[in-house]
Amino acid sequence: MPILTVENVTKRFGGFEALKGVSLTVERGEAVAIIGSSGSGKSTLLRCINDLERVSSGRIVIDGDTLVETVDGAVKYPPEKELRRICMKTGMVFQQFNLFPHLTCLENITIAPLQILKQNRADAIANADRLLRLVGLENKADSYPAMLSGGQQQRVAIARALAIDPQIMLFDEPTSALDPELTAEVTSVIAKLAQQDITMLIVTHEMEFARTVADRILFFEDGEIIAGGSAAEFFESQQNDRIKRFLSGFQK
Amino acid sequence: MDLSYIAALMPALMQGLWQTLKIFALTLVFSLPLGLVFTLGSISRVLPLRWLARGYIWIFRGTPLMLQLFFVYYGLPFLGLTFDRFPAAVLTFVLNYAAYFAEIYRGGIQSIDRGQHEAAKTLGFTPWQTMRLIIIPQTVSRVIPPVCNETITLVKDTALVTAIGVGELLKAAQGAVNRDVNITAYVVAAVIYLAITFVMTMVYERLEKYFSRHQKKEA
Repeated sequence: MPILTVENVTKRFGGFEALKGVSLTVERGEAVAIIGSSGSGKSTLLRCINDLERVSSGRIVIDGDTLVETVDGAVKYPPEKELRRICMKTGMVFQQFNLFPHLTCLENITIAPLQILKQNRADAIANADRLLRLVGLENKADSYPAMLSGGQQQRVAIARALAIDPQIMLFDEPTSALDPELTAEVTSVIAKLAQQDITMLIVTHEMEFARTVADRILFFEDGEIIAGGSAAEFFESQQNDRIKRFLSGFQK
Repeated sequence: MDLSYIAALMPALMQGLWQTLKIFALTLVFSLPLGLVFTLGSISRVLPLRWLARGYIWIFRGTPLMLQLFFVYYGLPFLGLTFDRFPAAVLTFVLNYAAYFAEIYRGGIQSIDRGQHEAAKTLGFTPWQTMRLIIIPQTVSRVIPPVCNETITLVKDTALVTAIGVGELLKAAQGAVNRDVNITAYVVAAVIYLAITFVMTMVYERLEKYFSRHQKKEA
């Protein structure tokens, strides 16, 4: 059974159709990258998967739980409490990091486990220490986000998202706010997670990163997935002219 | 200036000062938290609650404080609510300043980036947990300067309570001036007001530093 099933999801903002019937599945342990032009609906899709946006129609199932379905044309979400429980199966990493600036790195990582999951303090801190080591920032536990570089902040944000033990990680252009030097330290952390078979769905503009980290690529255009395939196929033997043009724009 | 004259003025002025400080302190203690209640009301998703809070703020910011004093002291007895002068003064000040603080807090809360709400939501926080654990703590450092400004206004507004016959610093000075036909008491009162606001400015600088410690870059 897939961890994530998205079926025929549409999303309208006023008269603008951001998603025009998107379907995809992500299997456990898979890393899937979504690429495509800006404004093509990639981020909107991620934001529908964790309920930051409400779909206009369609069905989303996460780890066997239905986040939303459309019955007789009416969109149906579960009650708020159930909705929160389902959304916590996803871990979100934002383009702008969105760390909590008034909390130290350690507190950023432990606040949800302590306040939401009611873990005991020692366990939460031990797990946070493990995650900080995973992202290579064990010496920054007591620093505030403002003291860190953008790349370091994003690595803490990844650790924070992992701390609620999600079934699937969602990355919304995790390196778009970073300069190239800092991009590498974030992409290498994500690559490490992929090697540990953490399931992830990554929206990115970093083609090299998508090629090396993702098992599968989905290409978005105008609110639709117009192509997809294994990373090797997609990049090495692409037949679609539109996508070739898009990719050649990224050649160095 | 005659120092022995000033010394003779002091007992009356100190008594007035004590009243001023009492009104000031009681107003702060009750209006600072009460303001937050009205803030949460004014941004509530429950519409009647929002209207109630916004109507309250509109009325108390939209009418003169002195009129409110008159209303509470002279007007409420007609509705069967009678207060002594001092409680009437404190009650009016609390209600009035809560409205101003509510608007300061609301500005602070709404200045927090949307991303903070979104990050909290993806971590499983309810809207109330987000407010309590993420948004309000970040608001504190942002609202300290305007709150400080408002409390300095409060020190001086306390002089208004003479309008309903409560003795305080300015009234004590005025009594001496009228009695002795000598304005020294006004000068002394001015120096005392300045001393209070000076000390407050110092305290607020400390508070500001303390609450913005997380914004400091590493040295």
